[in-house]
Amino acid sequence: MNLEVEIAGIKLKNPVIAASGTFGFGREYSKLIDISEFGAICTKGITLKKRNGNPQPRLCEVYAGIINSVGLENPGVEAFINDELPFLKGFDTKIIANINGFTKEEFVELTRILTSLVDMIEVNLSCPNVKEGGMVFGKDPKKVYEITKSVKNVASCPIIVKLTPNVTDITQLAIAAEDAGADAISLINTVSAMAIDIETRKPLIKMVTGGLSGPAIKPIAVRMVYECFKKVRIPIIGMGGIMNYKDAIEFFIAGATAIQIGTVNFINPKAVCEIKEGIEAYLERKGFSSIKELVSSINI
Amino acid sequence: MKLLDVEIEENVKIANDIFLLSFESEYLAENFKPGNFVNILIDKESIYPLLRRPFSISFVEGKRVYIGYKLVGKGTKLLSQKSKGEAIDILGPLGNSFLTDTFDGKVAVIGGGVGIFPLLGLCKELKNRGNKVDVFLGFRDLNSMFLVERFEDICDNTLIATDDGCRGYKGSVVELFKANVSKEEYKVVFCCGPKPMLKAIKNLNLPVKCYASLEEKMACGIGACLCCSIKGKDDKMYHACSDGPVFDIMEVEIE
Ligand SMILES: Cc1cc2nc3c(=O)[nH]c(=O)nc-3n(C[C@H](O)[C@H](O)[C@H](O)COP(=O)(O)OP(=O)(O)OC[C@H]3O[C@@H](n4cnc5c(N)ncnc54)[C@H](O)[C@@H]3O)c2cc1C
Ligand SMILES: Cc1cc2nc3c(=O)[nH]c(=O)nc-3n(C[C@H](O)[C@H](O)[C@H](O)COP(=O)(O)O)c2cc1C
Ligand code: FES
Repeated sequence: MNLEVEIAGIKLKNPVIAASGTFGFGREYSKLIDISEFGAICTKGITLKKRNGNPQPRLCEVYAGIINSVGLENPGVEAFINDELPFLKGFDTKIIANINGFTKEEFVELTRILTSLVDMIEVNLSCPNVKEGGMVFGKDPKKVYEITKSVKNVASCPIIVKLTPNVTDITQLAIAAEDAGADAISLINTVSAMAIDIETRKPLIKMVTGGLSGPAIKPIAVRMVYECFKKVRIPIIGMGGIMNYKDAIEFFIAGATAIQIGTVNFINPKAVCEIKEGIEAYLERKGFSSIKELVSSINI
Repeated sequence: MKLLDVEIEENVKIANDIFLLSFESEYLAENFKPGNFVNILIDKESIYPLLRRPFSISFVEGKRVYIGYKLVGKGTKLLSQKSKGEAIDILGPLGNSFLTDTFDGKVAVIGGGVGIFPLLGLCKELKNRGNKVDVFLGFRDLNSMFLVERFEDICDNTLIATDDGCRGYKGSVVELFKANVSKEEYKVVFCCGPKPMLKAIKNLNLPVKCYASLEEKMACGIGACLCCSIKGKDDKMYHACSDGPVFDIMEVEIE
């Protein structure tokens, strides 16, 4: 069975991508699994300058999910290029750089720096854990259009725009990204959420609110992929709560061309292998000859 | 570090809300360094608890690995219900170790609450290396005391502090240590316990190196998610799971 998929002319040998922020720069997981198993690896969110991220606690667990407020801790683009990229390039997988700016100019600058060094760039217009940039831009279709357009102007590699679910109508963001020339969209980033310790009456996250990921958000994510598929023609990369192959299949049926897996990496580092095998067996069992046939094959 | 499927040998209550679990793993036993921890997936199918849970390796005997834990929430409750023969999925050994150097001489080891668990393996190794070891253990009351005899077997001096004075010194283990430290010439100090305890030790501004094992909430346990960051000196960021859990107490912020 051929699991190959294509996004904006870039061929991924399979549709399973490591989600940004959940896989570091691949180094840690490479000690546990062969990270070439992934069709692509999306890096931890990169900013122009090093960032320390948010204060502790940054993580709490809730029913069927986790809330994080890491806040884009990363070593900055220069250190990424010098210290991390050469290592990642040693694997047989595509590299997607996840970039984060606090102004439009920063997004443009990051794209300029990275465009010839990686296979694709994922423009994160959806981080809920920073006060400027991120989701603040990503909630406004005009800003999504403006930033996507500016980034596309300087990009020689395909641009994926990562959308936030924290809006009334995500399809407006998807349309804005497509209109501005995005090559693909990815959704969803984490869902704004909060949890409180009832004994101390303190929020469980220092920043009070954070981003919810994991199984709890999957039905929301599937719905959003489904809605966006009806509105745009560019490929959709779906994610949110994928724990196993069955979850992944739902996303393809809803309209995703590829998927990203995040939180599950923390729990089961071998998830990528199990999900790939599961997808393959499912396609065979159902008589599909390629994954493309499965995309948006929903029966309503 | 490896993903391992192990079978529980023993999972017994050893004090109020405190359990000792053991299993055989040649790999872990061979690769274990005092201070290391493991990430246990308590129930593969479960979505609550969802994440693995971090626990220190307390000590190792032959191929047998021991982990002590306290009932805190859902995960530890489920773990306590597992019995001999049941399988658990373990990722480890993780983290760094207390022992990066050889210390020739007298060593102080201070532990409070479940922070005492990883110190047993440490004391064993310190003795193996020929050091003199004084251990200071702090417990709440008689019902929450555990592993004391094992420490007594290994260490040169085992000093106990209890909140209610039921045994040993009445008061905090840091006060007990302070009362002794002036008399002794320790080459190095190791500690593990709740943050207020570690903060109090840091505030002693000891004239010797002091290494503390720190806890932060962890998701991946291997340095990928950046959830467990700890601020260090000069704007440096450390990760409790991969740079730690053991740090030079003066090099990190303890909130
Ligand atoms: C490196 C390290 C070593 C540890 N060693 C031991 C040990 O030897 N014995 C022991 O009893 N406990 C130890 N702990 C604490 C232990 O991990 C928690 O008590 C346990 O995760 C609680 O799980 P729960 O589901 O019962 O509690 P819940 O309150 O339901 O847990 C909710 C969430 O918080 C996390 N969590 C809760 N408390 C802690 C904590 N103190 N540190 C990190 N994550 C936490 C859990 O993993 C989970 O994601 C250690 C923690 C760390 C970081
Ligand atoms: C700890 C953590 C850090 C994350 N960091 C980033 C990031 O830097 N950039 C980004 O675009 N998304 C980030 N995300 C979001 C994930 O890439 C993904 O969109 C989200 O977790 C949903 O997928 P999941 O439920 O499979 O985890 C992060 C998620 C988690 C849990
Ligand atoms: S727990 Fe993920 S980086 Fe430490």
